[in-house]
Amino acid sequence: MGLLQKFTRKSSPKQSGSGSNYAYVTARVRAMKSNLLPRETYPRLMNMGIDEITRFIGESQYKQDVDELARTYDGVDLFEHALNRNLAVTFTKLINISEGELNYLISEYLRKYDIWSIKTILRGKYCDASVEEINDSIVSAGQLSYPFLSSLSEKESYESIIDALSGTDYYPTLKGYDGTNLSEIENQLDKMYYTGLSTTVDNPKSNDSKLFSKFIRTEIDIKNLSTLFRLKNAGAEKDEIADLILEGGLHLNIKEIEKLLPLPFSEFVQSLEKYPYWEDISGIVKTEMDSLVELETQLTKSNIKSASSFSHVYPLSIVPIMDYVLNKTNEVHNLRIILRGKAADLDEEIIRNQLVI
Amino acid sequence: MVDAAAAVVYMDPAGLKAIGAGLAVGLTGLASGIAERDIGSAAIGAMAENESLFGKGLILTVIPETIVIFGLVVALLIS
Repeated sequence: MGLLQKFTRKSSPKQSGSGSNYAYVTARVRAMKSNLLPRETYPRLMNMGIDEITRFIGESQYKQDVDELARTYDGVDLFEHALNRNLAVTFTKLINISEGELNYLISEYLRKYDIWSIKTILRGKYCDASVEEINDSIVSAGQLSYPFLSSLSEKESYESIIDALSGTDYYPTLKGYDGTNLSEIENQLDKMYYTGLSTTVDNPKSNDSKLFSKFIRTEIDIKNLSTLFRLKNAGAEKDEIADLILEGGLHLNIKEIEKLLPLPFSEFVQSLEKYPYWEDISGIVKTEMDSLVELETQLTKSNIKSASSFSHVYPLSIVPIMDYVLNKTNEVHNLRIILRGKAADLDEEIIRNQLVI
Repeated sequence: MVDAAAAVVYMDPAGLKAIGAGLAVGLTGLASGIAERDIGSAAIGAMAENESLFGKGLILTVIPETIVIFGLVVALLIS
């Protein structure tokens, strides 16, 4: 009976939202996902030298990006840029091929990259980086196009950049920037992103917005958890942490987090036992932790894992697409870690710990 | 009432059969169309990324075509 219900829920066209082309996008995204590097590749890459890795990436799906950028860059930089470019092209493609509500949800999610680019430009201006340097670091995977973003980085001062963004949602936050409080504005932008996402799916009507909302709220939980772990471990004050907490988590809402805030690290760790994330992190968390790398890797891993398993439960929905976005970001992240790690002659063990496989 | 009864008497059975056959083909045609819509667009989506899926996509797309074939068979049986 439950199976039947699940089936009718899935196949009913009503849940697909108005005018969204789920069948097309999910099938295409699944085909794109099959092009991602399989899990077994990473140990193989770890055994390769830089030259072999670069050749491997040059022959993979990143070939076109590598070829096009090969004139301007070389070495590890070339691959870093090729990876970023590929990410931008792939995510822009997702926005371009989707329609209706689906398009709206994907664009809202990918705003992350708009914010990243705005932050990059402001940071670049803050430390007097050249226009080329700033343009190199922009990832135009969101709604703002590369020409627009590079026109921003060509502007002389941060005031004119903020003026140019006056039509966007970021303007009210950016107005507070006075040339010195960059980190504060960056935090506000990030907070704005998550508040924006939560309001997008505040009263989810369609089944899809509900799934999306669950996905976003899990992500907020995971962000909050890693913020809590980092700051608690560093012995930060309660108020300091409270400023950085995002609202709207799924299992850890703001009230529960307020209860966790005053606890010392060891008690904080114990009180996490009642949350579902404990299952994933119980093996790693100790009352005294020197490095949080393993924990954060584990949290990301559990996020990706839950997205993958959900994508099988709801095949015609936003979940497979979000799953792909996570996996793709992760792949680019992993490749970058391997390349940069190898280039910096890091110990293999250190690189391996950083990878999310 | 009398007129209606008279109309029933004069209704040609061959005409009714033709209507039945028409409905059988027409409605099943619509049904296959609706079923093929999503499968077809999914197949195109998959093919856009990986051309080797053309064969599989084509086969899956035409599977709901059986509905209209049944309709056609029924129509032929009726008429």
